[in-house]
Amino acid sequence: MQRLLIVIPALNEQEALRALIDEVLRVRAELPCACEVVVVDDGSTDSTVGVAEKSGVRVVRLCRNLGIGGAVQTGLRLAYREGFDYAVQVDGDGQHPPSEIARLLDRLRVLPPPDMVVGSRRLELRGYQSTPARRLGQLWLRVWLYLVCRLRVTDPTSGFRLYGPKALALFQQTYAYDFPEPESLAVACAGGLRVVEQSVEMRQRQGGRSSIAGLTSVYYMIKVTLAVALAYLRNGKRSRTLQPAAIPCA
Amino acid sequence: MSPVELEADRYWPFAVVCLVQLLLLLRLLLRERITLQGSISYLGFLGLFLLAALFPEATGRIARAMGFKVLSNFLFCLAIMALALLHLRALVTLSRIEARSVHLTQDLALLEERLDQALDRELTRG
Repeated sequence: MQRLLIVIPALNEQEALRALIDEVLRVRAELPCACEVVVVDDGSTDSTVGVAEKSGVRVVRLCRNLGIGGAVQTGLRLAYREGFDYAVQVDGDGQHPPSEIARLLDRLRVLPPPDMVVGSRRLELRGYQSTPARRLGQLWLRVWLYLVCRLRVTDPTSGFRLYGPKALALFQQTYAYDFPEPESLAVACAGGLRVVEQSVEMRQRQGGRSSIAGLTSVYYMIKVTLAVALAYLRNGKRSRTLQPAAIPCA
Repeated sequence: MSPVELEADRYWPFAVVCLVQLLLLLRLLLRERITLQGSISYLGFLGLFLLAALFPEATGRIARAMGFKVLSNFLFCLAIMALALLHLRALVTLSRIEARSVHLTQDLALLEERLDQALDRELTRG
């Protein structure tokens, strides 16, 4: 039976985490693979760790805040080291309904199986769609990713993702520490991974605060725009020596 | 009058500042507060500026050859370039240390989790 690691990165998510873990544990029993759950605490100052430990899931505590990317990469490194076949990222703020994990897994049945499945709220416009300002930012990132990597995605900022063995091998080595989602798509594309999207429903965050607000959003757009181009160039060069040329993504 | 205004007697304070910095750097090196590997470029630049301040005529000839009309402009340019290079070097070192620190933090967290699991198993068995 194939093994799946459900990675929940969390920073000060005591309000949303308990309900989310309960939901994940309920859903776990219905998934067609052997699942383990790990909460990666990114240096929380509230009782996030306590909530996670009481729930009986695995808890990895980072001794300092690394950013969402550093926390996700920790989970991916755990999955890679322990020989999991897949890992799925479910954000600790409760935005990603665990019931949708099955839809991401379903997408693996397509032949050839993709290396990475990105949950998109924009394919069928189901559920929470985020604010108009964020959608404008997403539109720019969609255009930019297409211009730089020829990658067509509808939801470049989605963190609801399923990683296959090749993606785990790549991302346990290289993963952006802050605002990593669009950059990791460029890395995946340059690394020759097959990336597909799957329509999912998302919710509003169930607690905590977003790290992107006010002036940070301006910094976010500038940083991510530069990072996508740099990541594609850097990893394209690396993958030309290590792996076959990049496969155009669906 | 020479195109480069040489006011050799006014450059000695500059030489003193360089010398004081050199001594401070040596003290830090002796106390192992900084590494020789990391400070060698700093030492190099300070030595260069000290020579420029001690031999302003020679420095003036180099400045003239490079098209500077006032010696102090040449020294300012040299200082800005030196600082930019030193900053770039520090940035490279800092970035490398940051990446290493992230990996070590992750490794530590993963090892702690394995240790906790092993201890739990021991306790259950015991």
